[in-house]
This record gives sequence, C-alpha cells and structure tokens, in this order.
Amino acid sequence: MSSCQLALQQLTDSALPTGAFAHSLGFETYIERGVVSDEGSFGVWLSAFISQQLTYSDGLAIRFLFEGADLGELDVHLSAQLLPRQLREASTKMGGRLIEIGTEVFPSAELEAYRALVTTGRAAGHQPLAFAVVARSLGVPFEEALGAYLFAAVTSLTQNAVRAIPLGQNSGQRLLRKAHDDVAAAVEHVQHLSWDDFGAVSPGLEISQMRHEWQRARMFMS
Amino acid sequence: MSTTAVEGSPVGDLTAEAAKPGLGAAAWRAPRGAHGGEGPDSSLRELGAAGDGHGPKSGGAVGGDLAPSKAPMGELQLRVAERAGRSVAVRQFHRGALRVLRPHYLDQSGQVCYVMVNPGGAYLGADLYVVDVEVEPGASLLLTTQSATKIYRTPGSFAEQRMTIRLGEGAELELAPDQLIAYREASYRQNTHITVRPTSSLIMAEVITPGWSPDGASFKYRELRLCNEIQVESDDGAALLALDNLLIRPALGDVTGTGFMEGYSHLGSLIVVDPRVDQALADELNRLTAGYEAYSGLSLTRTLGGTTGLILRSLSNSTEELNRLLGACTGLLRERWYGRAPLDLRKY
Repeated sequence: MSSCQLALQQLTDSALPTGAFAHSLGFETYIERGVVSDEGSFGVWLSAFISQQLTYSDGLAIRFLFEGADLGELDVHLSAQLLPRQLREASTKMGGRLIEIGTEVFPSAELEAYRALVTTGRAAGHQPLAFAVVARSLGVPFEEALGAYLFAAVTSLTQNAVRAIPLGQNSGQRLLRKAHDDVAAAVEHVQHLSWDDFGAVSPGLEISQMRHEWQRARMFMS
Repeated sequence: MSTTAVEGSPVGDLTAEAAKPGLGAAAWRAPRGAHGGEGPDSSLRELGAAGDGHGPKSGGAVGGDLAPSKAPMGELQLRVAERAGRSVAVRQFHRGALRVLRPHYLDQSGQVCYVMVNPGGAYLGADLYVVDVEVEPGASLLLTTQSATKIYRTPGSFAEQRMTIRLGEGAELELAPDQLIAYREASYRQNTHITVRPTSSLIMAEVITPGWSPDGASFKYRELRLCNEIQVESDDGAALLALDNLLIRPALGDVTGTGFMEGYSHLGSLIVVDPRVDQALADELNRLTAGYEAYSGLSLTRTLGGTTGLILRSLSNSTEELNRLLGACTGLLRERWYGRAPLDLRKY
C-alpha cells in the first residue's frame, strides 16, 4: 500500500468536515427553474459542471500548483476569476476549513506558508489550492490527486442533489458511476489546457451561480 | 524607419512592462514592438501643448509563451485629458485599418465621444488590432464603434484584438462597442487589459452574437476567446480585481445546452468598476434585468482599494433585447453617477 493512499482517502472522504453539504455551486438554481428535476437532468448538469467549472477553474489551479506556479498568485487569480460571489465564498469557506484540518492532521511547511498568507490577508485560501498543497506535500502524484479531488467534489454535489431534488440513494450511486468517465476526461483535458484557459467557465453556469444570490427558498449557501 | 522623438517612438513603448514571475504565460499578451516605422498610412497628432514625455503604457504580465510577433493590421492610441471642464484628446495616433472619427460631445457634461472605425469592415485570419486608451485624471471618454465587429473565416489562424486601457483618478470611461459577430469558421481572441485607480469609473458593455451560416445554423464559428483583466492600481501597487475569461469553442462540442448557453444564442455582458458599486446597486440592477427576455445574472467582485466591480452576464436570442437590457443598466448608472441622459448614439 502506498504511503499516501489512506491520507488521500481521508482528505477526499465526503465526511471531511469542510461544509460541502451546504453548497450546490449553482445547481439549486436549475432545480428552481425546473431544468434539473431527476436523475437524468442532474446528470446533464453534473457533466457540464465537471467539464467546465472543475476543469477550467479547480483542475487548472491544482495543475499549476503542482507545476510550481506561485501559490499567492494562483490564489489572487482564483479570487478574481470566480465572478459569482457565492461561488467565491464557497471556495474560500471550504478552503479555510481544509487548511485548518490539514494543519491538524497533515502539517507541512507548504501548508503553514499558505495558512500564513491567509491569516495575514495576503491570500483568500481557496479549496482547490488548499487541497493541492496538502496532496503535494504528501507526495501524491498529480493525476491521482486531481482525479481524487474531482471525484470528491462530484460525490458531495451528488449527495446534495439526492437530498435536494430528491433522488433515491441508488440513483445517486448510478450518477457517481456515470461520472467516472467525465472525471477521467477532465483529468486528461486539464493537462492539455494553457494559462489562457484558466477561469474560462461557461456563461450558463456562471449566470445560474449568480442568480442563486436572489433565489427565495434556498437549501444551500451557493 | 523614422523614429519620431515626440513621446518616444509611437510604437516602441508598446512592449510589455516586465515579465511576471511565477506563472506561465499570462492571460494578457502585450504586443512586441516589432512593427515598422511610421508608414505613409500612419498619423500621429500631438494635441495640446502638454508633452510630458509620458508614453502609452501597455500594461500587463507577459510570460514566456509569447504569440508570434506580427505587424498589426490596425493600431490606435488615444489619450484624453480634462482641459477647462471639457475632455479632449491630447494624443491621438492611428495606423492601418483603425481610426477614430472626429470627436463629438453628446451633452453639456464635457464628456468626449470618440467613434472607432475599421474601414476594412471586418476581421480576417491573422489580423491583429492594437488599441491603447488612456483617460487622464478627471477626464471622461465615451468610446464606441461605428458598426458591428465582424469576424469572418480565419483559416488556420485567428483574428485578434489587444486593448490596453488606463484610467486615472476620477477618470470615467464608457466603452460601448457594437456587437461582435463571429461567422462560420471564425476564430477570434480579444484581450482587454484595464488598469483603474480607486476613484476611476468604468462602464463597459458588450454583446456577442453567432453569425448565421448559409444553412441557417448558428454557432458555426470555431472559437471565441475574450478576456477582460482588471487591475486596481493604488499607491500600494496594483492588484487584480477581476478576470473575466470567456471561451466558446463550438468546434469542440455542443455549447448550446444546459450548463453552457442554456438554449440561447446571444451573450451580453456588462462590467462596472466604481467606488459607488455596492450590494444595493446590484439588487437594483438585478430587479431591472428581470423585465427583459433574457436569462441574466450579476454579482459583485471583492472590494480592492475602496473600489468594487459588478459583472452582469445575460443570455438571449436577440441583439436588440440585450442592447435594451444593457442600455437600461448603463442608462441608470449614467443618470445617477454622471447626471447624463441614457445613451442614444443614433448610428445609421
């Protein structure tokens, strides 16, 4: 068993208390509009979310960090390119929790440096970067780390959809199984993108994430 | 090559300020100073006497992966300053297929209006257009275009526009180009790099439409890549406020459906940066957008140096509807902030 396998499992477990249960990252807007109402329609949204948001924003951030890009600068770019406010706040809320948890259980000089940037107000502390810093410090290879991160995000969102739509538990498991291909494609895609692509998320997803701010009945914070 | 001494070479300063460490290629790629001298088609006018030796500052980070240097198809530089209550151009330079019409004043506010013209009428493969605009402290500029920007087939290449905008303290810029139309097999990149001061006021609106192909289908263009990068510069240095990166690649897969264009064909966007931007304004504009046949969302950026950005995106099936919606939003801001009537450019 590789030394980092259990660490990575703990880090990506949906029970990790980062507060992911409180975020739909925009799909609640689709539910409200009636566009997402069952397993099939949520699957369409999830697929778009993986190939857009998780690829062009989270995935690229993780790749650039593994490639040695400056952490502070990546953090600033995420704050600037996550245009929907709730999405930006979701990223830093969950990122902040991940930094706290990481400091407790997987401390490293790199994570301590990120924490220092955040506590002094020089960085916001975004979730994909916090994850990448910890995963990298544990020696997790890039592709494995990215795949695990993406699938953890997909798992949280699917669990939230199961509660919100609502869907049956088996429905949720079928969605997760189907998402394997999308996650694998995203891991591949991220490696072929460039700096120019960073943050190029589709207008439809962004508008829905923005509209959530004014939605009346909300289960989720984003 | 004739090098003119006024304000340095009109083109030499357009190279990047400095390479930014850390990241690969930055989103904004400043052009290399690889253009010829002033050809017969170029025009450099020094207006007003205030030659302060301050050349056009092309901002932005440049990484290692520079685009191949190519001579711009069209180049335009415009610097506007406040003189006795009126905004006037103190520097104006153009070359090739870009120029501005004579300035006019739409009202008594002193704001000067310039209309950009592309006499060629269209962007073709490998065309590069470089626009550099500076609005000095306290000055006000309304910059628009004479007609839609049309991108035609760009086989094996892409048309490109690089725009650098710098606003001084208390400077106002309204950027209101006509819609962008991308036709079949077109690829286009537009990089707009904006630097504002904490008290600057920026309003920019843009509409992107898919040109229709002979068979009546839309989204036949290959790729549209539009990036707006906004920096706030204060005495403590510059910081990135917003990075608005749009990439639509119909050639690589369906972009029409859920999670992308949501069944719509046209995209409108509005970017506002001003110290008066706040949540109450966002709420108000959000209510305003509800009255239009469009799917819209807006949100605030974080606040940097006392100024905040507001980004509005809107999907619709009609340029006119998006223009009405964006016009309503900018009309509200023009009246409230500048005491000006809504824009009516009467372009025929």
